[in-house]
Amino acid sequence: MDWNADHAGFVTAAYALSLVLVAGLIMYVFNRDARIRKRLAQFEKAKK
Amino acid sequence: MTLLAALLRRDLILAARQGGGAGTALGFFLAVLVLLPIGIGPDQATLQRLAPGILWITLLLSVLLSADRIFQQDFEDGSLEVMAMAPPSLELVALTKAVAHWLSTSLPLSIAAPFLGILLNLRTEVIWPLALAMILGSFALSLLASIGASLTLNIRRGGLLISILVLPLYVPILVFGMSATTGNPEMINPSLLILAAITLASFVLAPIAAAAALRAYLK
Amino acid sequence: MQQFANPTRFLAIANKALPLIWVLTIILFAIGLYGALVTAPPDYQQGETVRIMFVHVPAAWLAMLVYTVMALASAVAIIFRHPLADVAAKSAAPIGAVFCFLALATGSLWGKPMWGAWWVWDARLTSMFVLFLLYVGYIAIWQAIEEPGRAAMIARIVALVGFINIPVIKFSVDWWNTLHQPASVLRMDGSTIDWSIRWPLLVLGLAYTLLFLALHLMSMRSEIAARKLRNLQIARSGEA
Repeated sequence: MDWNADHAGFVTAAYALSLVLVAGLIMYVFNRDARIRKRLAQFEKAKK
Repeated sequence: MTLLAALLRRDLILAARQGGGAGTALGFFLAVLVLLPIGIGPDQATLQRLAPGILWITLLLSVLLSADRIFQQDFEDGSLEVMAMAPPSLELVALTKAVAHWLSTSLPLSIAAPFLGILLNLRTEVIWPLALAMILGSFALSLLASIGASLTLNIRRGGLLISILVLPLYVPILVFGMSATTGNPEMINPSLLILAAITLASFVLAPIAAAAALRAYLK
Repeated sequence: MQQFANPTRFLAIANKALPLIWVLTIILFAIGLYGALVTAPPDYQQGETVRIMFVHVPAAWLAMLVYTVMALASAVAIIFRHPLADVAAKSAAPIGAVFCFLALATGSLWGKPMWGAWWVWDARLTSMFVLFLLYVGYIAIWQAIEEPGRAAMIARIVALVGFINIPVIKFSVDWWNTLHQPASVLRMDGSTIDWSIRWPLLVLGLAYTLLFLALHLMSMRSEIAARKLRNLQIARSGEA
């Protein structure tokens, strides 16, 4: 990859955007999973 | 069959007496037709080029605007539940109500549109193909609108949702409707036949989808 | 298939498989990105811009694959009343929407230097845009209907109606595009794609697919937990 080529900025932007969105999606999924399962665990503990 | 005929008659009378369905849609149609030339500019050549597209899009949006009324009222006053328990299947009830919507709203609009197109300097040789394609396409528009209406039956602010859900379904009709109007010199052209095929497919599939959605809400 | 019907069984399998899938995903991404950014040669016509393809094309594949998964799951939910099918369809939608958006956005970034415009109403772009609308509508249905059972029934219909409609839209926009303007879009001729470009593309496609699988399994796990939580809460408020 030649980072000084014409339009290299577009390539960077496309990869950066993909990275940001995919990372955001992964973080969202992980956070949601952790949050819900924590609440479920708390709930089940409180019930006992 | 007589029950369905009675339902159709009832819906048409209701639409005529209340003036809600066709009236609002027609008012919207006229508003767009008057405002667009003012927005675009009075240039005759531009208007002539844009006229078929404007008429199609306005027809589409007018039908969309009146779509949520297909089942809403009957659901709210409980008559839809009575219809669901009646001997004709819910699919046929949904079909009848879509036909009523077509006869009361989409069909009058699609008949009026080509002639209102004169206001936009529509080419005269396009008027008949446009009328034919619109009459055919408007039936599909009503049928597909009935899917959207049944899916969003009991949702607050369902209007936005109905647009998102129905818009993708309207894309093919707009494409082939436009192509049947302006793409071909003959009146009966391949695009018109494809439009007819889409209408027939909607005729079969839309009531099934609409009835399934209605059942979910009536439970 | 029936053995996966049991959510507990599913969770056990998913929990066991997930670490392995994540590791594979990371490895494949590393190899694929190395191939895409280092070993693949710049195109003699498109220059370095061609590298956008390596993130664009897999995203577009996945956007279509995920909708297919959603529609299949919805069909299974209608036909077999499979308890996990609705969970699978619901969990897939946001992931598919992100991939679809990525395909549109990277396509736009590719289009600007290539065609000189951010957006062209080309047949493919248009049908991808409509696909994005289908995703939005499907997600909105789940958001708008509070009663989960009813939301599931309506969402199934939305997914299936959309799926039936996809080929019709595809066909119509192809027709529309050839009618309005002859194909001026840069097209990659299948035969001219060199292996040095094809392998990173395939590896990244596989990496995206595994990423989807991992995220999908995790979302399904959260969704099952969320439903359990909801049922427990209802049960408790019933007792009180």
